[in-house]
Amino acid sequence: MLKTEGICWKKSGKYILRDIDFELSPGECVGLVGPNGSGKSSLLKLLAFLALPTSGSMWFKGQLISGKAPLTVRRQIAIVFQEPLLLNSTVYDNVAVGLKIRKVPQALIGPRVESWLEQFGIAHLKQQTARSLSGGEAQRVSLARAFVLEPEVLFLDEPFSALDAPIKKSLFSDLTRIFKQTKVTSVLVSHDFNDIQRMAERALILIDGEIKASGRPADLLRANLTKQASDFMSHWRQCKEFAQNS
Amino acid sequence: MKKTRALSYLSILMLLFSVVLSGCGKTATPTAQPPTPANPNVILATTTSTQDSGLLEVLIPEFEKKTGYKVKTIAVGTGAALAMGEKGEADVLLVHAPASEKKLVDNKTGINYKLVMHNDFILVGPAEDPAKVKDSKNVLEGLKAIEAAQAVFVSRGDDSGTDKMEKSLWVKAGIKPAGKWYLQSGTGMGQTLNIASDKAGYTLTDRATYLANKKNLKLEILKEGDAALLNIYHVMQVNPEKFPKVNQEGAKAFDDFMVDSATQKLIAEFGKDKYGQALFFADAGKSEAGLAAK
Amino acid sequence: MEQIWQGILKALQLLVTGDPEVLQITLTTLRVSGTATLISLVLGVPAGTFLALKNFPGRKVVLSIVNSGMGLPPVVVGLWVTIFLWRSGPFGYFNILYTTTAIIIAQAIIAAPVVTGLTSAAIQQTDPKLRLQIRALGVTNLQYLWLLLKEVRFGLFAAIIAGFGAVVSEVGASMMVGGNIKDETRVLTTATVLEVSKGNFDVAIALSVILSLLAYGVTFWLTLLQQQQQGE
Repeated sequence: MLKTEGICWKKSGKYILRDIDFELSPGECVGLVGPNGSGKSSLLKLLAFLALPTSGSMWFKGQLISGKAPLTVRRQIAIVFQEPLLLNSTVYDNVAVGLKIRKVPQALIGPRVESWLEQFGIAHLKQQTARSLSGGEAQRVSLARAFVLEPEVLFLDEPFSALDAPIKKSLFSDLTRIFKQTKVTSVLVSHDFNDIQRMAERALILIDGEIKASGRPADLLRANLTKQASDFMSHWRQCKEFAQNS
Repeated sequence: MKKTRALSYLSILMLLFSVVLSGCGKTATPTAQPPTPANPNVILATTTSTQDSGLLEVLIPEFEKKTGYKVKTIAVGTGAALAMGEKGEADVLLVHAPASEKKLVDNKTGINYKLVMHNDFILVGPAEDPAKVKDSKNVLEGLKAIEAAQAVFVSRGDDSGTDKMEKSLWVKAGIKPAGKWYLQSGTGMGQTLNIASDKAGYTLTDRATYLANKKNLKLEILKEGDAALLNIYHVMQVNPEKFPKVNQEGAKAFDDFMVDSATQKLIAEFGKDKYGQALFFADAGKSEAGLAAK
Repeated sequence: MEQIWQGILKALQLLVTGDPEVLQITLTTLRVSGTATLISLVLGVPAGTFLALKNFPGRKVVLSIVNSGMGLPPVVVGLWVTIFLWRSGPFGYFNILYTTTAIIIAQAIIAAPVVTGLTSAAIQQTDPKLRLQIRALGVTNLQYLWLLLKEVRFGLFAAIIAGFGAVVSEVGASMMVGGNIKDETRVLTTATVLEVSKGNFDVAIALSVILSLLAYGVTFWLTLLQQQQQGE
């Protein structure tokens, strides 16, 4: 589905990403982890065609993308950020906006929006203004907005980081259910390895702009990694051991 | 919800467009009888006091009806009106500062320079008259008394016809007015009268503006009738040879109009019904030297 | 006090009897200032958006010029427009001095920096992350601008109201480029000045009341629209 080779991104003379080789197959969920400032969000932006790398190549569905990605490609991806970033209108309007942009016929928009509102349990908030929502509700709207587009690739940049534990728990279970149902190809960035373990089939550890390790999440916990990756993962290993021992 | 929003946007646009378009049909000529000249616009530069007297509101419609020209009356200070003439920005001038007008006549900026009418200036002040102007022999003595008493005097200070007249009187009286008692308003005659009335001070004004504003003022006529106080109006066309862009025919029509007998009659009658006395004296054809105040 | 009361009564009288001259002056005012505001919107909103979003060398200088343009004295604008429109000036050929077109031009120049500056400020206030999210929806450039402007519509309305307020209340430019000609370029502000200089204080007060009602009426209506949009 999505492939990169030798991607580098230089900003203000510094490399924030170096030599990224990455491949995403249809139906996969890949996780991106790493310490703060490792370049995870930057890599996500590049993969979502929201920014241009300084060097390297990218392919989308086998088509080489050079320069700014064409509209047809950009309309096949969707991204959800840490903050809901909703527009100043109703929940319905927020979810429908992507469809309107793609000139989906009016008659089809209604049912699609309604069904996704149902999926995320916010149908009762349809006519409420975005401003009046709670954090959890707003993030659900943001997710519904992404899913209603039925994107080829879905990018999630720390979607739960701004939510507190009980809200996150309920949203997480809804999201995993929807992931299983739709089998959407996705890339998930998180600083919480537990999320990655539960949702992703594969994970990459990004440190200082370079991929230090990749593999199945369970393997990453056990295996011999480079020192840097090992240091990063040590915290999670300890958590796992703690969880296992208690 | 959507419908009301769309409706309100639409209503804004419609309102704005209707307002914009409502102005487009305005350029139609009012009545069809008089001839419509090729270039109907005539720019008349005159002074604010001339406009404030209300005389033009009687004369201009007459002119427009008769000739089909449309007069754009630009009422500014005398200095600006003469400057407009000197730049060719106006077609015809109606002003009352003969000393300054001479320059334009001499350098052929103004042609067909004709005497139209005159009114007079009067010295007004508070009823109490602290400087005893009423008792002085003539206006020059009156000014000397004001200066001696350091009584408040409000000057136009704007190079207008009235201002020039006032300054020439001080010169004749041999005084250079300066000090806290001598105020310069820099505004039109009406406003200057208000200031004088408010500060219980003296000022020099033309009779017409004083009469028009009398109801709002606490000022009385303290000196009048001097030969030195005549305010003389001339009309002149801006020379088309110097400024090809002027409306030559329109200017000539106005120039001729101001001195023809019907117009002169209107001028002589103006103000009688409202103030019981005429505000102007019609002088076309007379020589300047032979004018008298009453 | 007596005079103020007389003025208000005179205003009512003029309005109720539909005095044709006052009606003419009022409609001219509305048409001139409305058109000028519309033009300033058409010029100012795109300019303000461009200034807010596009980084180019000298951007800060341009922004500061626009912002100082908001405080540009109308009479100065009037003077410069007059100089350009004089027969001897560069645009004298068009013969538009002393017409309502000239007033509209001058007022559009007065309102444009206001609209540009406020639009730019409104857009600069948006969260850059939100702008990124909008772009991530797969928008064309036009759709991006449309969504962004819809997002700041509250601020845009403030810009319209400010622009209209600035021009409907000014007298210096209108006087100079319009000439205050009866039935042609006389607007409420210039007519008020004339009546004061003639000593007709009751008429002057009446005109000022009508002008205030007009300005307030339009602003009220725009405010209603602004608040209505917010509440949806």
